[in-house]
Amino acid sequence: MKQFSATILLTFRELWAMRITQGIFVVTTIAWLLLTFALNLDVIEGSIAALRIFGFEATPTEAIRDAVTGELLRDAETGNVLREALSLDQFVLGMNQMVFGASYLFGTLLGLFATMPLVNGFVEQGRIDLMLSKPVSRAKLLTGHIAGVWAIVAMLVTYLVVAIWLVISFKTRLWLPHYLRSIAIIVIMFGVMYSIVLAIGVWMRSTGLGLVTAYGCIFFSGILAAKDQIVPQLTDFTAAIFVGLYHIVPNYIEVISIVAQLGSNESVNSWYPLVSSVVFGATVYGISYVIFLRKDY
Amino acid sequence: MVSPGSETKIDSSLAIATDALCKVYSGPFGRRKVTALNGLSIQVQQGEIYGLLGPNGAGKTTLLKLLLGIVSPTSGSASLFGKSVSLASARWGVGFLPENHRFPPFLTAMQTLVVYGRLAGLEKMTIHEKAPSLLDQVGLRQWSDARLKEFSKGMMQRLGIAQALMNNPALLFLDEPTDGVDPIGRRQIRDLLVSLKDTGMTIFLNSHLLSEVELVCTRVGILHRGKLVKTGSVDDLTRASGRYQIQIAENQKSELTELFPDLHFANRSDETWIQFDAADASELNLQIDRLRNSGIQILSIVPQVQTLESRFMEIIGDIDDSPGGIPRFEKRTEDVESTDKASGS
Repeated sequence: MKQFSATILLTFRELWAMRITQGIFVVTTIAWLLLTFALNLDVIEGSIAALRIFGFEATPTEAIRDAVTGELLRDAETGNVLREALSLDQFVLGMNQMVFGASYLFGTLLGLFATMPLVNGFVEQGRIDLMLSKPVSRAKLLTGHIAGVWAIVAMLVTYLVVAIWLVISFKTRLWLPHYLRSIAIIVIMFGVMYSIVLAIGVWMRSTGLGLVTAYGCIFFSGILAAKDQIVPQLTDFTAAIFVGLYHIVPNYIEVISIVAQLGSNESVNSWYPLVSSVVFGATVYGISYVIFLRKDY
Repeated sequence: MVSPGSETKIDSSLAIATDALCKVYSGPFGRRKVTALNGLSIQVQQGEIYGLLGPNGAGKTTLLKLLLGIVSPTSGSASLFGKSVSLASARWGVGFLPENHRFPPFLTAMQTLVVYGRLAGLEKMTIHEKAPSLLDQVGLRQWSDARLKEFSKGMMQRLGIAQALMNNPALLFLDEPTDGVDPIGRRQIRDLLVSLKDTGMTIFLNSHLLSEVELVCTRVGILHRGKLVKTGSVDDLTRASGRYQIQIAENQKSELTELFPDLHFANRSDETWIQFDAADASELNLQIDRLRNSGIQILSIVPQVQTLESRFMEIIGDIDDSPGGIPRFEKRTEDVESTDKASGS
């Protein structure tokens, strides 16, 4: 346990020593401080009567829909869509969806970028041999490293999301803790994408390539997310390949919808994108362990 | 007794034992195979300071890495205190200073000892008790709270030694410990090693600095192209090989040349020294009598003892000169032992 905690401690210290981590922390702090001081709401009978941000005032409204048909209601004379003051619930929902969407991208993409040099440092000649010379198993060393990286990213994401959630909750007096479930999804998806950086890092000692591959997978998952539109256009053979890739490559883009649904307290339509991504991540972590346990450094 | 690399069986009473250890590095897809170690058998007794010598690429660092489980052997076996090196537990009580080590630059000297002490399995309290005295011992006490990015190469090296000693190891591996250290620091490290030897610690030293090895080590092995070509005590390796130099008076040079055309002048600047080989004391006395009976005045007689460096060069040179050996750019002018004798085969 002493050795395991030493690996986590070393990872923590290293990540904290990097300017990018400090930068993320500062940017996050600035974001919630701005929100705290620059956003003012006038709430009257559960609706937003006025919203002021950076001195600009606005009256957010939402279109009125027919309660039965769901169609937009229009003014009989002008034909304009009828609008009413934005309800507090709708406002909080919109804010949270925006915050969680941004946190998902911010947490995973910047998290990957920030933690990439850690793998480099971990397998660097002159450092890895010193660690391997200690009476600690390679599996424990790698687990300590992964745990350290996950823990610090979880802390950053939690700080970002909880701070903004607190500000919004204070401002609106609406305390809806279920929004915070998204933190787990963000951290898990970071972990899935980090598995790629780690595997390539321990194998080839090139985390730059690992990062490019991870970002490539993210880009590719955007194309794969349009499976239902693209597959009918393909031949049987190429369609089979496309579908195969859809099930293999982490469904990063599709997971955004899970985050959004959790954020709006809706039931999640399908957990499959998250589950298949986790399976992918677990497999790649397994490969990383096999490489690390056998590799000569 | 000087002996060539010989077969060794794993023995728990030995600090280090390897048996027919081989390591072949392969390039991508199994191409470009490089044999770093070739059937190496070596044994180091507990309490020894063993120096491993060899030219670049001889396999010294590979051997160290194999013994520490950093690389795995292609074949053969190795053990530390009787435990297979493939087990992490074999490294309990082992300290290591790698060549070109890179400590995280964001740590302070004290934090480095804490992190690596913890990795060595030490309790926090033990580390905090021991670290200051170790930093003192390597002359870094006043730098304990300085970040490593401010450290010079020599300071890093001394910190590396402190780190290696944190767990009070029974076996200490040092790979080029004085690399980048100034002469004063080198002397301090040498003295430290000698004082550690007195504590009964076994030290395995890889070094290019032959003079350092000669001063510190009790036994030396010479590794060349993955094979142990010679091993023995420093005294054994540098012992006089029956060669003597005799100084005569300056004005008797021409007389000597006339009387004894078979004698050679030694390769010295003043040309008053003659050199000859004598298998034993009686042969030496016979030569002296010859000179004395002819009226040659002897000013001094000096038995020729080789330095470890000259012996090392001789052994490596002999192998490289042998058929299939690597051609050298500089030929030795001294007479050469046969390759068979040097390699002991």
